[in-house]
Amino acid sequence: MSVLSLLQVVPLAAPASPGVVVVGIGYAVIVAAIAVWAGRRTRTARDFFVAGEGIGVWTLAIAAMAATLSGFSFIGGPGLMYSLGLGAVLIILPASLTNTMTAWMLAKRMRLLGEVRGLITVPDAIGARYRSPLAQGLAGVAILVAIVGYMATNILALGLVVDALFGTGLTWGIWIGLAAVVAYSAAGGILAGVYTDLFQGGVMAAASLLVFGFAMRTGGGLGEISRTILAADPGFLEPWGRLTPLAALSFFFVFGMGALGQPHVVHKFYMLKDPLRLKWYPAIMTAAMMVTLLLYFGVGVAVKAEVVSGGLAPLARADDATPAFLLAYTPALLGGLVFAGVAAAIMSTVNSFLNVGAAVITHDLPVALGRKLPDELAWGRISTIAISLLAGVVAQVSGTLVAFLGIFGWGLFASTLVPALAIGLNWPGATRSGAIASIATGLVTTLGFESAAYFGVFTFPAGVTVSGLSLVLSLLVFFGVSWLTRREAGEIDADVKLVMET
Amino acid sequence: MAARTGLASLVLGTLAAAAAYASAFLPGDPPLWGALAMVLGIALMSVGSMALGAARAGRPLGRLGWALAASFAILVLGFGLALLLPRDAAGLWAGLPRRAALVLYGVGVLPAFFLPLAYALTFRERTLDAGDIERIRAARNGPVE
Repeated sequence: MSVLSLLQVVPLAAPASPGVVVVGIGYAVIVAAIAVWAGRRTRTARDFFVAGEGIGVWTLAIAAMAATLSGFSFIGGPGLMYSLGLGAVLIILPASLTNTMTAWMLAKRMRLLGEVRGLITVPDAIGARYRSPLAQGLAGVAILVAIVGYMATNILALGLVVDALFGTGLTWGIWIGLAAVVAYSAAGGILAGVYTDLFQGGVMAAASLLVFGFAMRTGGGLGEISRTILAADPGFLEPWGRLTPLAALSFFFVFGMGALGQPHVVHKFYMLKDPLRLKWYPAIMTAAMMVTLLLYFGVGVAVKAEVVSGGLAPLARADDATPAFLLAYTPALLGGLVFAGVAAAIMSTVNSFLNVGAAVITHDLPVALGRKLPDELAWGRISTIAISLLAGVVAQVSGTLVAFLGIFGWGLFASTLVPALAIGLNWPGATRSGAIASIATGLVTTLGFESAAYFGVFTFPAGVTVSGLSLVLSLLVFFGVSWLTRREAGEIDADVKLVMET
Repeated sequence: MAARTGLASLVLGTLAAAAAYASAFLPGDPPLWGALAMVLGIALMSVGSMALGAARAGRPLGRLGWALAASFAILVLGFGLALLLPRDAAGLWAGLPRRAALVLYGVGVLPAFFLPLAYALTFRERTLDAGDIERIRAARNGPVE
């Protein structure tokens, strides 16, 4: 199963109605109001990139949830379940573990590095850990490459949602959606981002919970839904669905361990006002994610049951699962709320990417080259606009290539950042050479394997994903090179060592 | 000790995942041992990450060790039984076939209840307290002792 199928690149069935449009407009007005409020409070580069280290744990957790979940959770995911069966749920099951894992491995250490060094970016932490501008710059390049591709995919999806809501056509949908995100991202930076994320996360959770309730009611409860499906297609409810066990487990592996290397989430730990409030971060984040992912599972099984029982016609495309369910079984206003939720999921992810990407251009690459830009706030805004224009053009002109670009985004984050950042901040034996070698391995293998697979040079056997294989290879290189260069292992600054030992 | 165990688990888990992927390149149908190796890799890496992150010099994991051991058991048993048990003949567990329920409720839901709670309940002793913050702020303002 390619990650290609995780990306939203086909038009959505439009549930257009006056009620849906009103909900869509209401959502846009609230986002704009938050953006104006936050924009007036963004006065420094620290406000722009780390929200002035002033947010609370609820805002942190909900914003992290909103940034983690893209529109895939609402559209592509239920569609994938409809076509692959229960195996597709292994993409989201790691949520029961990953937030606590991330809290133990990264939350405290990132926040304390921000405290002791005033760091503002994820590559900053790598640079400080290994005393290496090269490692920082290489991590920045990996993030930037991944972000442009990943953003292009999300912007295309946003264009499809705007088109579905307002009937603008895809081209105008892309640029209208992008303009809205850029407006608040450039004006208010991450300060606007986290507070719009808080609202957007609430919309996503409410939409998911309501739709899950309708899905269970429609099918007569989960037991009845299962019995209906088992009578017609027992393989659907096998633990791995239509996937091989290794392919399904590979999803769990990649989305579980890979969660430790997502910069748009990890970066948010710098923003927390009081580090002691991290105590409740995993509980809030896990609960928020579980609620918001209910739609993924509920619509996936309910639509399958309705199709096999004749209540719904077989879907022309798997991605029609959510729109078809909304049109047939829910009130129009709920449809509007779900489409606002999809837009919210995409916009919150894009905003976080924009901010992380702008920080790489404004801060990490100059640091790697031994320079510092004079006005990081102004350059941050300029970089935000430049990245969004680049991603918008890529989304507009590249056709199927946009999906290809999105394929390696998530895997590239995982293979380049999990070893050097997540493990490196917890293992004093990790060395600068090990970190540089693993980041380079992640970059080369992910880009190389994905390109080779895309251009048909070869195909991996069932169960092997490029992102999983690249993550394993970069981890092996990280451990191996760190062991071979273990004489470097003690070269850690005293304050960073204190953070690692705390 | 906890850090060393966590790191060893991570390394072994990575090797197990590598073996699982290697099994897919063998001729014929994918072998069962490949999927079992991936289960072991997932369990070792997930729990090893948490142990490594929670480890602090001179402090044993204490009651947190039980939460991590439970996580390991849930991952191995949930996925392992789903792989090894025969296909369900009849009956549902909380609305799902037995093997699907083991994966969905066991692996996907159960840890969500106790792991965040374990993190919160051990936060001051294992993760961070006011004294730690003071030491960090002192390091910001001058050399570390």
